Amino acid sequence: MKSKFGSKRKEGLLFTLPALIYMLALIGYSLIYNIILSFKNMNVRTFKGGNSVFVGLDNYIELFKDPVFLMVLKNTFIFTIACLAIQFTFGLIFALLFSKKFPLSGVIRGLLLVSYMLPMSVSGLLWRNMYGLDGVFNTILMSLGIIRQPIEWIVSTKTALLSLIITNSWIGIPFNMLLMTTGLTNISKDVYEAAEVDGATKWKKFRYITAPLLKPAALSSVMLVFIYTFRAFDLMFIMTGGGPLHSTDVLGTLSYSYSFTQYKFSLGAATAVVLFAILFVVGLIYLHLTTKEEAS
Amino acid sequence: MQTNQLNEKLKRESRKEKRKDFILMLIALGIVVIMLFPVYWMAITSVKSDHEIFAKVLTFIPKDITFEPWLVQFRDRNFLYSLRNSIVIAFTAMTLSLSLGITAAYGLGKYKLPFHNSILLVFLVTQMMPSSLLLTPLYLFFARTSLLNTFLAPAMAIATNSIPFIIITLRPYFMSVPKSLDEAARIDGSSAFRSFIQIVIPAVKTGVITVMVISFLHGWNDLVYSMTFNVEATMRPLTANIHKFMDQYGMKWNNIMAYGMILAIPVLTSFVFLQKHIIGGVTSGAVKE
Repeated sequence: MKSKFGSKRKEGLLFTLPALIYMLALIGYSLIYNIILSFKNMNVRTFKGGNSVFVGLDNYIELFKDPVFLMVLKNTFIFTIACLAIQFTFGLIFALLFSKKFPLSGVIRGLLLVSYMLPMSVSGLLWRNMYGLDGVFNTILMSLGIIRQPIEWIVSTKTALLSLIITNSWIGIPFNMLLMTTGLTNISKDVYEAAEVDGATKWKKFRYITAPLLKPAALSSVMLVFIYTFRAFDLMFIMTGGGPLHSTDVLGTLSYSYSFTQYKFSLGAATAVVLFAILFVVGLIYLHLTTKEEAS
Repeated sequence: MQTNQLNEKLKRESRKEKRKDFILMLIALGIVVIMLFPVYWMAITSVKSDHEIFAKVLTFIPKDITFEPWLVQFRDRNFLYSLRNSIVIAFTAMTLSLSLGITAAYGLGKYKLPFHNSILLVFLVTQMMPSSLLLTPLYLFFARTSLLNTFLAPAMAIATNSIPFIIITLRPYFMSVPKSLDEAARIDGSSAFRSFIQIVIPAVKTGVITVMVISFLHGWNDLVYSMTFNVEATMRPLTANIHKFMDQYGMKWNNIMAYGMILAIPVLTSFVFLQKHIIGGVTSGAVKE
C-alpha cells in the first residue's frame, strides 16, 4: 500500500515538474541574473568584450541621483494610484448596477468587457487617434462649448500622463467590475433579507452589509490591479514612447530604453530590480491578504 | 373587497418595479454607449475613404463606406508577413504553454505532492513578475544561443505568462473530476498518462478550450517580448510592427484603424463565442481557490 502511495506521488510529480522547472529556469534565472547584472557595468562594449566587472551599488546610486529616474518613479506611482482610484470606483459602481437584474443586463455587461479584451496595442493606437489636436475628443468638447482651445492631450507635458491614465482606466474598469462582481456574488442573500425584515434602508444596507463583507475581496483586487498597473509598458510605448520629455515614462519603459536603445544593460537591470522590489512588497501583502481570507 | 385592494397594491408595486428596471436599463445603456464609443470610432474610421479622412470636418457616421483601407493591408507584403508571424508566434506560445500548463494543473489538482502549497505559490508569484525583469537576461541568453530573431524566443517568454494562468484556471476543474472516472480507466490497464489524455481531458473540455483561447490571445497580443527579441521587421508580429506601419501610412488613419481592427478580430470573435468562459477565466487568476 505504501509503495503504491509513493508511486502515486511520483506520478503527480512527473505531471508537475516540467512546468515547474521551466518557470524556475526562465524566471528564476532572469531574476538572479538581473540582480547580478545590476551590480555590474555591463553595456554593449563590455558585453561584447566579456570584461564587465562588479561595481557594487554604483548603478543604484547613479539612478537615485538622476532627476529623470526620480521623475519616472514618481510618474509610475501617480499613474498607478490614479488608475486604481478611478478603476476601483467605477468598477464598484458598475458591479453594483449589474448585480440588479433588469432587461438586457447580461448582454450590456458582456459588451462592457470589450474595452478590456482589446489588445493593449490596439487601444493605444485608437486613443492616439482620438487624442489628436483636431481629433474626435477635441471636436466633441469644442462643439459642446466645454473648451475653446483644443487640448494638447498626449503632446503636452502637462496633460500627457493624465491622458494615459484616462486610457488605461477605460481598459481597466471592466476588469475591476468583474473582480467586484465576484466579491458581491459571494455575499449571501440571506443577510440582505434579514436586514430588509429589520427595515434597513438602501444606504444602510450598503454601509453595514455590502461594504464590510466586500472589504477582503476589494483589498485583494486593489493589490492585484496595483501589480498589473505598476508594470505598465505597452500603452506608453505605443502612444507616447515615454515622452514628451519623460512625462509619461514609467519604470517599465525606462528600463527598456536603458537596455535596448542605450544598451546600458546594467542600468536597465537596476531599474527593473527597483520595479520588482516594489511589486514584491505589494505582492507579499496581496498573498498575505488572500491566504488570510481563505483561512477565515 | 380585501383581496381586490391587495391585488391593486401588488399591481402598483410591480409597475413601480418595472419602471425602476427600465430606468436601470437606460443608465446601463448610457454607460455602454460611452464606454464603447472608442470602439465604434475605430470601426467607422476604418471604413472611411481617404477623402473623408482628410476633410476638415469630422464625420460621426461615414458618408460612404469603403473597405479599401482593409484591402490595402492584404495587398501589402509587409502586412502579410507580420500577420503570418503573429499567427506562428501565438500558436507556438500556445502549444508550449498548454503542454506544460495542462499537465501541471492536473498534477496539482489530482495528486497530493510534496511541497504542494509551495509549488502553487511559485506559480502564483511568477505570474506577477514584470516583463522588464525578463527582457535583459533573456535577450543576452538568446543572443548567446542564436535564438534572437526566431519565433521560439518570444514564444518561450510569453509562455511564462500563460503557464501559471493555465494552472490556476484549470486546477479546480481537475479537482472536480470524480476519481472513479480516472480509476476505471486504470483498471482497464491504461497508463496514467493515457487515461489523462483519453479520459480526464475530455471531461474538462470547457476549461481546456478556455485556457487554449486565452493563451493563444496572450501570444497574439504580445508586444514587448516580440519587439525586444526580434529586431528584424520580417520576424516581427503585427503588434511589434505598429510603429513601422504608422510611419508608412502617415496621416491615413483609416488604414491605421483597419490595421487595429484586424488585430482585434481574434479577441472579438472568441469573445462572442466563449464570453461566459472567458469571463470566468479572466478573473480566475485573481481569485484564490
